[in-house]
Amino acid sequence: MELTAILYSIPWDQILIQTINGIVTGMILALIASGLTLIFGIMDVVNFAHGELFMLGAYIGVIVLATTGNFWLALLIATLVVALLGAAIQIVTLRPLLGRDPLTTILATFGVSLILQNYALWQFGPVARKIQEPFTGHFTLFYLEYPWYRLVIAGLSAAIIGGFWLFLKHGKYGIWIRATTQDRVMAQAMGIPVPWVHTAAFAIGAGMAAASGVLFGPLVGVNHTMGLDWVLKAFIVVVVGGMGNLGGSIAAAIFISLLEAYAAIWVSPAQAVIVSFIVLILTLLFRPTGLFVPTPK
Amino acid sequence: MTIAAKDAPLIAVDDVHTYYGKSHILHGVTLHVGPGEVVGLLGRNGVGKSTTLKTIMGLVRPTEGSIQLDGAPITGMPPHKLARLGVGYVPEDRRIFRLLTVMENLRTGLDRQGVTDEKKQALLDKVFNYFPVLAERRSQAGGTLSGGEQQMLAIARAMMLEPKIILLDEPTEGLMPRMVSQISNIIDVLHKENVAILLVEQNVPLTLEASERVYIMEKGVVRHHAAARELKMNDAVIHQYLGV
Repeated sequence: MELTAILYSIPWDQILIQTINGIVTGMILALIASGLTLIFGIMDVVNFAHGELFMLGAYIGVIVLATTGNFWLALLIATLVVALLGAAIQIVTLRPLLGRDPLTTILATFGVSLILQNYALWQFGPVARKIQEPFTGHFTLFYLEYPWYRLVIAGLSAAIIGGFWLFLKHGKYGIWIRATTQDRVMAQAMGIPVPWVHTAAFAIGAGMAAASGVLFGPLVGVNHTMGLDWVLKAFIVVVVGGMGNLGGSIAAAIFISLLEAYAAIWVSPAQAVIVSFIVLILTLLFRPTGLFVPTPK
Repeated sequence: MTIAAKDAPLIAVDDVHTYYGKSHILHGVTLHVGPGEVVGLLGRNGVGKSTTLKTIMGLVRPTEGSIQLDGAPITGMPPHKLARLGVGYVPEDRRIFRLLTVMENLRTGLDRQGVTDEKKQALLDKVFNYFPVLAERRSQAGGTLSGGEQQMLAIARAMMLEPKIILLDEPTEGLMPRMVSQISNIIDVLHKENVAILLVEQNVPLTLEASERVYIMEKGVVRHHAAARELKMNDAVIHQYLGV
């Protein structure tokens, strides 16, 4: 009797809705964090400009959408343009710093983030832009009209991450990236052009950030500081997942987003953010190598 | 082919000085390896043998001196270009890509421009024939192999580059006697295939057996150079420089 009382008191409908919300945000976060963790894993660079690449992707999406009216074309072009921009940034700012104190690369990427953010402010102004979602259909979820587009974001993010994983696992260049991540020196001795592998990895990470910017644009609005919140969360995800560990980052992104979504049932969404910091602090205290990595020997 | 061309060295290291930060490690090393020749590099710990190999491989940049491959200067060239030119490197600690499978480890050297699928298969068949255990474990992660198997993989991986020369750093270190004789067999096989080897070893009998000529290093320079045959007869030199 008491058990049934407890079961009745649990808001099952809200839990289901928040599970879906958590997975949607988790997938977007995973897409951002995958690029961040790839870049960290391969060249020990903490990319403070990652949020700005996400933001720039969204703005390029806005422009292409305004000129062509095609959301999918906007997604594709934003990804490619920001990937190329990422390659240029890597060659100009990070390649000369390879092997130096990590602090120098932190300062360099932080500098790049300030430049990109202020460029966006100067170019697009302080008023938020909107990306129109490619379709506006809804389905009924309990008392909610739930937009299909949110599920599509989750699916597309999963598809991009899955494609990236297959590329890493089986592609020639994927093997080059993994070999370079594990042992930069030996990779070079095996004939792998490591400086270009670094550039390519940075470009891929940047492209993934841009893709998530365009996909997420319709839900949040596009402005020059939109990268800040997301990159902070992506950093938490990367640390909790184990620095440089792709699978761990994806698991951590979904885990943290679900926890925040559930917390938001009982507290305000702004307070729910605290959950991710609690997870971060507990991880650093008790398992600093990351929650989702095997215990180091 | 003229005698002069045949005698032209494959690798020529001339008066090379190398530093690690402020410490002067190589004080003018000069040595050469002919095409298809097995050359030993002996010396006590810390005399600069491994540094000599790393300098040839482009992993450390010399401050002075020159290195030539087939008569062309390669001093300061990045390692990945040297690998493509046919310099294979098997480091002391093997440095297997631990999370890559055996097959993926081999593919790092195999996926080059201009290697046809037939050629790739032929190269794989060759190393699997020499090292059947690698064929059995092709889908296993490199880090799960035993020390001897990792050594085989490190050599097989370098062979994927179809090298003209392999820089082999202490291949028998820490291996069981059975594995040691297998490594020495492999050196013979590579020699028969006309791959030159610059062999750094602590195992003096093995080095004298496998090599044609031997350089002995002390304090960052080459102190002695002789045919392996001569050194086998001359315990005094070995004793003087190596204390064995």
